[in-house]
Amino acid sequence: MKEDEESPGRRRFLKGASIAWTAALAAPITARSDAQTPPAARVPLPSAAAESTERDTSLTQSSCGGDFMVDVMRALGIEHVAATPGNTFMGLHEAVINYGMLTEPMLDFITTMHEEASVAMSHGYAKVEGKPMACMMHTAVGLQHGSMAIYNAWADRAPIFMIVGSHQDAATRHNAVDWAHTAADGPALVRDFTKWDDTPGSLSAFSESAARAYKFAMTPPYGPVLLAIDTRMQEDALPGDRPPPITRLPRSAPPQGEEGAVRETARLLVAAENPVIMADRAARTPEGLKLMIELAETLQAPVIDLGGRMNFPWRHALNQSADQRALVSSADVVLGLEMGDFWGATNEYGGRAGRRSLLPEGGKRISISSLDLFMKSNYQDFQRFAEVDLAMAADAEATLPALIEAVKQAASNARRGQFSDRGARLAQAQAQALARARSAAAVGWDDSPITVPRLCAELYEQIRNEDWALASGTVFQSYWPQRLWAADKHYQFIGDSGAYGVGYTAPASLGAALAHKKHGRLSVALQGDGDLMFGPGILWTAAHERIPLLYVVHNNRAYHMEIMQLQAIANRRQRGIDRVHIGTTITAPNIDYAQMAKALGVFAIGPIDKPQDLGPALKKAIAVVKRGEPALVDVVSQGR
Amino acid sequence: MNARICALVLALFLTRLAHAAEPAAPPPDVARGKQVFLSVGCYQCHGTQGAGGGIFGPRLAPEPLPAPAFSALVRHPRARMPAYSAAVLSDAQIADIAAYLRSIPKGNAAADIPMLNH
Repeated sequence: MKEDEESPGRRRFLKGASIAWTAALAAPITARSDAQTPPAARVPLPSAAAESTERDTSLTQSSCGGDFMVDVMRALGIEHVAATPGNTFMGLHEAVINYGMLTEPMLDFITTMHEEASVAMSHGYAKVEGKPMACMMHTAVGLQHGSMAIYNAWADRAPIFMIVGSHQDAATRHNAVDWAHTAADGPALVRDFTKWDDTPGSLSAFSESAARAYKFAMTPPYGPVLLAIDTRMQEDALPGDRPPPITRLPRSAPPQGEEGAVRETARLLVAAENPVIMADRAARTPEGLKLMIELAETLQAPVIDLGGRMNFPWRHALNQSADQRALVSSADVVLGLEMGDFWGATNEYGGRAGRRSLLPEGGKRISISSLDLFMKSNYQDFQRFAEVDLAMAADAEATLPALIEAVKQAASNARRGQFSDRGARLAQAQAQALARARSAAAVGWDDSPITVPRLCAELYEQIRNEDWALASGTVFQSYWPQRLWAADKHYQFIGDSGAYGVGYTAPASLGAALAHKKHGRLSVALQGDGDLMFGPGILWTAAHERIPLLYVVHNNRAYHMEIMQLQAIANRRQRGIDRVHIGTTITAPNIDYAQMAKALGVFAIGPIDKPQDLGPALKKAIAVVKRGEPALVDVVSQGR
Repeated sequence: MNARICALVLALFLTRLAHAAEPAAPPPDVARGKQVFLSVGCYQCHGTQGAGGGIFGPRLAPEPLPAPAFSALVRHPRARMPAYSAAVLSDAQIADIAAYLRSIPKGNAAADIPMLNH
């Protein structure tokens, strides 16, 4: 057969093969590779797909669910929102930074490095400012991170407005991370220690839930509240591109004590020879502090401030906190105002029944507490049941005006004369207590490591002429500030963590300092070393957000409370008392907190272990804080 | 009768001989006392020089309790302080600690420290 005589079938085959081969050569490499690689051996693209949720990328108008939520929060008076970024609230995060921060009134984004810090900052802020700020957390794992701080705020009766993201619709969960980070009922994790929570199903419902949540947070007893918000609701355009109406927040009036009970309380207090007023979280606001002073001065009665808030001026003649046991042991009437632990303040363990009242026989206890109106049962922060003679389920501060009036009406002129005599005796006792505190502070004055009273006295020396505020608690410093300093403004002290969850002080102090900042106050904090190490990233937040605060690190190089308890057990077992440093001390190596702070952007000095070096170091650091920046001084100190 | 008296005298003599053979307890030592005070953790509650730990441990120095009273308290303490038996802290070690506390000098009075008098 000649070439020009090839069969048509063969020509078609060859032509087809030629076309196919040419096409194959011209095709993109990947397609050719796909065509060549068996499907089972294909390797998926690297982790980008696993890390980011597949999103709806259709363009929206500038308004969206997130912007509406920002407007709702602003309408509630919220000025700041703290967050560590999380996938499930990206819609709201974007709305805050691109809408809330760029329009008035500004909603400011505070970047933290741990959800615990977001919540604790909000806790400290609320106690100064008297209203909540917001914090946002990623669902599941983010809320888990924040949970201890939420419990602290709950136990401390502090209002916080919290938002967590949520993947309500399973069809929107596009990868393994979305599924792992979803709980069918996310808020359930913390429901035992939040006042209220909701998962609104629409933007209208969000508006109403936000108002209801805020109202609950700010009705005594104050507490944290939580809204779980679906991601799509945050991210998608508004239905019809029109926002729903924003729900109006009512003015709320706190509950006051029943009239008859108030009159009865006044009668008992006026008739008492040795009345005692005990206050824990009584002064919710600056007005509360004024009312406490008026009640005490009207009765010329001693006040024992248990330190949950600034309830009474520290150097007031009637402040008898130093003589608590002696006064309670001779009291015929004890009035407890918003007591965290009324049982512990007026009883002790021991005796035949395992408990013993500190009051004399016939002594009466009266309680005014909003906790009688609202409590949950799983976590036992409500403390041991205190047998009282009269319990008013009411807010103490709101009840004080009526009580003061009733006392004035019940006290005759002759009786008031007797009150004056009592007041004179108490003033003398207060002066003696101050003298005793000063004598005790002088002991070990030049010791190294530096004694805690020396540390506190040196700090006060630097701040006493400023508009200062102590943003931290003082129990681990043996209450030396209360014993040596003079404080008479409500914002100068905000109490402690509430539930003793360690890791509170560093972020909560910063939240308090955030509130103090706009008032130009000098914020200082006595910062435990162990507490700081639970979340040192807060120092970066302080630097990044330019929040002025002086951290004075009470560096006793140990988890101190546990050393004492461990030693008690070792002694009981008669072994190894010289080994209790294992698992409790923070040494070998010693942490250089100043270097750590500098690495996180904070001006720092230390470690200071000679007392004569402390004053100059504090002075330098305070100059930095007064310029609007945070600072840290590491002080190698005695244990307590 | 004479035999009984002789036996008694002999017994007394032998007892004195036995005691004379025991080594005398070393006198309390300040440096040893400080080392024990720090190593067994007394300083954690009472401060490195016994100045006290605020609400967590009372002041021990200066002007400490007399040694017998101090020893009794260590063995049978009050409040939250753990009890130290002889198995974990010997009489000699307690005596050393007491010597250390006695060696701590009295510091300035509060009236002499200006920043304590605002």
